[in-house]
Amino acid sequence: MAGGKSATRPSKARIAVIGLFLAAAWLGLAVRLFQVQVVQAADLADQGLDQRLVTRDLAPQRGKVFDRNGELLAMTVEAQSIWANPGQIEEPLWVAQQVGGLLGVNSDALLERLTSDRDFVYLKRQVEPGVAEQIAALEVRGLYAHPEATRIYPAGAVASHVTGFVDIDGNGQEGLEYFYDEELRGVPGKAVFERDLEGRIIPQGISDIVPAVPGTDLNTTIDLPLQYQSQQACLSALDTTGARSCWVVVLDVETGGILAMAGAPVFDPQTRQTVDEDCDVTVDPTCHAFSNFIVRGIYEPGSTQKLITVSAAIEEGEVKAGTVIPEVADRLELREEACRSADDNLFGCYEDFEEHETANMTVADIFTQSSNVGTILVAEKLGQERLISYIEGFGLGTPTGVDYSVEAPGTLNFEAGCETCWASAAIGYSVAATPLQMAAAYASIGNDGTWTAPHIVASKTDVDGNEDVTGLETRRVVSEETARLMQELLANVVAEGTGQAASVAGYRVGGKTGTANKLGEDGRYTEATRASFVGMAPMDDPQVVVAVLIDEPAFKFRTGGASAAPVFAQVMEQALHRLGVTPDAGTG
Amino acid sequence: MTAQPLRRPKRRESLRVLSGSRFRKRPTLAPWMIMVLIGVIAFLGLGFARTSLDRSAFELDGLNRSIAEQEALNEQLRLEIARLENPARVAPLAEEMGLVIPGDTRQLLVDLGGPAVVSVEEGETQ
Repeated sequence: MAGGKSATRPSKARIAVIGLFLAAAWLGLAVRLFQVQVVQAADLADQGLDQRLVTRDLAPQRGKVFDRNGELLAMTVEAQSIWANPGQIEEPLWVAQQVGGLLGVNSDALLERLTSDRDFVYLKRQVEPGVAEQIAALEVRGLYAHPEATRIYPAGAVASHVTGFVDIDGNGQEGLEYFYDEELRGVPGKAVFERDLEGRIIPQGISDIVPAVPGTDLNTTIDLPLQYQSQQACLSALDTTGARSCWVVVLDVETGGILAMAGAPVFDPQTRQTVDEDCDVTVDPTCHAFSNFIVRGIYEPGSTQKLITVSAAIEEGEVKAGTVIPEVADRLELREEACRSADDNLFGCYEDFEEHETANMTVADIFTQSSNVGTILVAEKLGQERLISYIEGFGLGTPTGVDYSVEAPGTLNFEAGCETCWASAAIGYSVAATPLQMAAAYASIGNDGTWTAPHIVASKTDVDGNEDVTGLETRRVVSEETARLMQELLANVVAEGTGQAASVAGYRVGGKTGTANKLGEDGRYTEATRASFVGMAPMDDPQVVVAVLIDEPAFKFRTGGASAAPVFAQVMEQALHRLGVTPDAGTG
Repeated sequence: MTAQPLRRPKRRESLRVLSGSRFRKRPTLAPWMIMVLIGVIAFLGLGFARTSLDRSAFELDGLNRSIAEQEALNEQLRLEIARLENPARVAPLAEEMGLVIPGDTRQLLVDLGGPAVVSVEEGETQ
């Protein structure tokens, strides 16, 4: 039995040791548990949450742009941006050849990107989902795609001078896209959620979503079919006249809404490239067509300015339509020897476009035949001060306030001491206006003497469907009687004057031709001209004003009557049809 | 009628008090069983509710994704319609098919007593 006792002693000791060890282990565990669960609990919980929590910015849907009939001019859809991790690409040459063909990107350029030492390179951004699917089908390791919003212009180049465009990141760069960028952009949202190891959202986990607020939709006054016809008329005019560019703007007389605003050459807002094979900006930097000349370009309006001069003289009671201006010659010298001097810088010589015998002419005849000398004699009765106030009243020299990016104010050149500026201004020199300013000035005559600010956006619709209608800004520039009289004089210009090519069958049309020599780089007038025509119809109740400007037509077409008036007729005819205006004359 | 002997009624034992040491409670399993049962049912119920909620959440997520996909598809279709209606596409096709932009129509307004109102294409003889 003694041996048995001795045998149990070591086992008890071992048990005690093991017990102590276990107790120490448990104590260690308890300490660690306390440390983890109590001391570091908050930090560790935060670390875990950080791993699971994902915060994503929710990009708002950019607002749409519609024409007056609800046709889409601009919208945003989801596209796929293709990117690569060059380190994971095993056969970059093969991938560059395969993917380059699908993306329409030069394979050499792709190969350069695919062999770079970066971890992330874009191969092409914002490609159509179908293309992304084709690339995914190649199952190339290291090629990825992520969704990205892209701006689409379904009307393509047709409305490019209206909508403008956005850059690759969706920031407005031109036109309505730039002017209304803040409203169109919307408000970004934010989503916070927990995800598992595979990136799936953990149900019942933390989820906090602040939805993005989509941008405001713009409902414009543009009539897309008329916009197309205007652009086609301009493109056709370029072919016919050999001009550098052609611009057309169509205004609703009563509301000031711009029904069409087109130009040629045109550009594609999607690619942001000029649709003109002959345009090479490295050769001719001015051939790019992004800049909208209707709003941003200024030109000396030439004879179209005479509407303002004669309106002012009639409104001030200085003349009537039948007032006879005696001895109107075809040449007028406001400075001695100005017409005989070889120095082109010596201003003060004014000549009519065509030579004619000195004759007594009525104000109506002067206007119809577009006599420069006669108009200056009428303006002389008015005086410089009153002439300037009417020019400003008709909106020249200040921006019209149109909702389009970077509008030019135009210039009124009446330097102190300038003896001939008033005479030049009376016939459309010494002042520079935008085609839109001239259209608005004519629209004020068509609107019985009330000037209305032109605008493109008729209303804005927010995400809740609330509509914010654009208010009209108006002011009276001449009396109704003067405006009606001027309408008749304008009708005479088309019926029997210089603007006969502007006639539209079935309608009485009124308007005025304009031909202004362009200033050269040396500040002297050149042989090159800007031909224009601004007019309205139907004359019993004008509803539409169309302004056409053709830059540097061939010599044969250098006048407004020869080049701009036919374009006017074409566009006006379409405009009257589009608006369903009842014919008011049996001509044709 | 034969006489029957009366049976003596059986005497009941009178009630007596048992001492504590002799009293032995019988184990009452029923409440425990009920509690366990309730616990199990609650556990299973909560588990079922949780999985149902999770399943619903996944379904909701799937539906949301489906809605987003349908909306994207809708937008794509709107875009396609807009592209198809683009005058720059329609006009050349119409021209190919021999369609032309309507010419001027001359509207003749006549007296009520006269012939009916007619609309004559420009250039057409009456």
